[in-house]
Amino acid sequence: MAIEPGPEVPVKPGMGFRRSRFKETGLMGVLVALGMFLSIFGGSLPVTNRDTGEVVRVNKFLRADNLDKLAKNTSFFAIMAVGATFVIITGGIDLSVGAVYCLAAVCGAMFLNRFGPHGAGAGAPAFLVVPGALLVCLGAGALCGFINGLGVVGLRVHSFVITLGTMAIYRGIAFVMTKAQAFTDFPPAFTDGFVRREIHCYGASLYPVPLAIMIGVTAFAWWYLKHSVTGRHIFAVGGNEQASLFSGLPVNWVKVKVYTFSGLAAGIAAMIMLGYYGSASSDAGKGYELDVIAAAVVGGASLAGGRGTAWGALLGALIIQVINNGIIILNIDQNYSQIIIGTVIVLAVLLDRINNTLRERRMTRAPRP
Amino acid sequence: MGENGAGKSTLGKILAGIHRPDEGSLEVEGVERRFHSPLEAQRTGVAIVHQELLFCPNLSVAENISLARLPSRAGRLDWRKLGERARFYLEQVGAECEVHEELSRLSTGQKQMVQIAAALATGARIFVMDEPTSSLSAVETQRLEELVAKLRRNGATILYVSHRLEEIFRLCDMVTVMRDGQQVATIPLAQTNEAELVKLMIGRSWQKRLPGQVERAAGPERLRVENFSSPEKFHDINFSIRSGEVLGVAGLVGSGRSEVALGIFGLDRAVSGRVFVDGKEARPRSPREAMKLGIGLVSEDRKGQGLVLDMECGENITLSSLDRLSRGGVIRRGGERKVIARFFEKLRIKAASPQIPAQTLSGGNQQKLVLAKWLARESRVLILDEPTRGVDIGAKGEIHRLIDELAAAGHAILMISSELPEVLNLSTRVIVMRNGRLVANLDRSEATAERVLKMMTGCGETAASSAGEPGGQELI
Repeated sequence: MAIEPGPEVPVKPGMGFRRSRFKETGLMGVLVALGMFLSIFGGSLPVTNRDTGEVVRVNKFLRADNLDKLAKNTSFFAIMAVGATFVIITGGIDLSVGAVYCLAAVCGAMFLNRFGPHGAGAGAPAFLVVPGALLVCLGAGALCGFINGLGVVGLRVHSFVITLGTMAIYRGIAFVMTKAQAFTDFPPAFTDGFVRREIHCYGASLYPVPLAIMIGVTAFAWWYLKHSVTGRHIFAVGGNEQASLFSGLPVNWVKVKVYTFSGLAAGIAAMIMLGYYGSASSDAGKGYELDVIAAAVVGGASLAGGRGTAWGALLGALIIQVINNGIIILNIDQNYSQIIIGTVIVLAVLLDRINNTLRERRMTRAPRP
Repeated sequence: MGENGAGKSTLGKILAGIHRPDEGSLEVEGVERRFHSPLEAQRTGVAIVHQELLFCPNLSVAENISLARLPSRAGRLDWRKLGERARFYLEQVGAECEVHEELSRLSTGQKQMVQIAAALATGARIFVMDEPTSSLSAVETQRLEELVAKLRRNGATILYVSHRLEEIFRLCDMVTVMRDGQQVATIPLAQTNEAELVKLMIGRSWQKRLPGQVERAAGPERLRVENFSSPEKFHDINFSIRSGEVLGVAGLVGSGRSEVALGIFGLDRAVSGRVFVDGKEARPRSPREAMKLGIGLVSEDRKGQGLVLDMECGENITLSSLDRLSRGGVIRRGGERKVIARFFEKLRIKAASPQIPAQTLSGGNQQKLVLAKWLARESRVLILDEPTRGVDIGAKGEIHRLIDELAAAGHAILMISSELPEVLNLSTRVIVMRNGRLVANLDRSEATAERVLKMMTGCGETAASSAGEPGGQELI
């Protein structure tokens, strides 16, 4: 061959254009800045230590039970945002997460109520009830998601339309099933014994299970997107659906999978909610879909498809919750919270676009051998 | 005039202000101009009639005709005036269609007429017509020719891009032949003839045959299609390819070449006929099935159908073979890296690293990525549709050698190309398609440029029949 090989460029690890790294560093930076701001300007609060009776002033933001509440509040959204990120990476959207969350919660609630202290199945052993409740919640969520996926693939309608429809359908089913009443009275093995398990730490009571599940789900999703065949396929379908089809990828199957994941994530979130609050009704999770999508988008998922990360979704959800939290801490009128959150979403997307432009410019400047 | 890729359309687009020239000057009626937008060009009196239809299909005919200057009264669209104006110009071009019809409902020919009417409506004195008759029926072509003659009589200047020799001779005074982006000749038509123009277009003296291109013993049959048909696309196609062969497919754009490729690759649900892969009958119903049968398609639309541009080069290479590079659904990173490294070396892909996005690579290297994708999958039948489109000269030579090497290594290759020299040089056999039919199956020795070109264009048959052929034809 007369053509010379191009100039040898050593391939260093970390060199090149890693999609996610910079983006997440940015999110971490925003989060740390927000946290520092709230720690400094949030003020403090007199708290009586339960054990010693001593009164100490504690930082309003950095106080253990505030952070714990923050983690719990974030966990529902973060888990659903991770699921939504899967869908968004393929270039779709799932508007039904709130309704799936609700339906899964209601199914789980009816199951738990039945095996609760005053239900028909009272006294059933915990090692059957807890996995049973898990199965009901996750199964209901995954099934709803699967149906979404079948609709998107089978009817060839845009996911926005399909999930807009199923959003109403699932919520309607939940409404009919519960006859608009709330279900409570769950077996303590599921609530206090599992999701609401308490640990004492320097006089504060903390609930680490939601946090642990959130981190577990996110870590698994990150690993899955990065290392599994399906994960790679998800990025390919979102990056260029036609090229994926032309490359012999099971495009339809990949799509069904991502909607199923999204439903499954909503099911997990529903399970946490059930265990933590110990009740559910048919208006649970109303309006969550937009918060969830917002979290995913703030976390760097591109609605055009092809980009997004699990950690990004988690951080996005966390940022939104920290801002919500900050509004309370700083005693800002609650009515402003929506305005502030909305602004943050637009800013995040703007930042993302600037980042993209810079990246593209960097790429075009990269020497072409 | 000029072959595909000679730069005719690009030149037209620069004139009409759609693309900007890198250098050089443009004078309109003695005044130097530099158009920054099509609107500026229109104001100067230059209008373009595109080869591909660039319109808003969701708007009505009337709106499309006056798109740049919608008549309004106090900010409100003046529908009556809009309709009148549209009717007036449509009458001028002799088109029959309802002005309030949505554009997408019209036939291609009608759309073309609407476009010409729109060009007229801008009040242009200079018209750039980019293959206006490629999608017109015989009657419509006739009308268009009358219209061009009429415009001419009224003092308009027309730049007429066409591949139809007889049209050029009927309509034009001067002809400029382009080849590879260069102006080859500009001569008055009265001083030339068809044969000379064909020669100018083909131009380059044949490159010498590739080193590996000596007679090769063909191996076993890999792919055979029988009575392969798809309604309105192609009809009754029969051919077979053996291992080690490069079967060239010559034909004008719109002759059904790419459609046959898509049909074999399982992307056309309407196909009928039989397909045999390695002697066994198997007609893929999806690209996935085709892939599993060992067929790979390098499509003509590299960016749209070949690559996921945002993904890493390496990831693009292994995209189709992940199931072989994974265990239990988890990608084996080490194995993947090895495959990527092997193909980077084997195909001499030039990229700073396999981790940069495919987007950043040059056309030739991108094409190699697509090819590598199928080689990594160990596809034995490769369908290459315009493998060197948009690829620079150096990379082109490399891809040619690669095709040759692959054939020598036992792949069966179906190569579709608009470039005659490419087809003639690389192929062991050539099939010629015209209007969805296979018109010739030639051995390498029988396939001469003149002969193939004549078969592709149907030149030498009656002029009327070729003018009436539907479907865009683009070569000459």
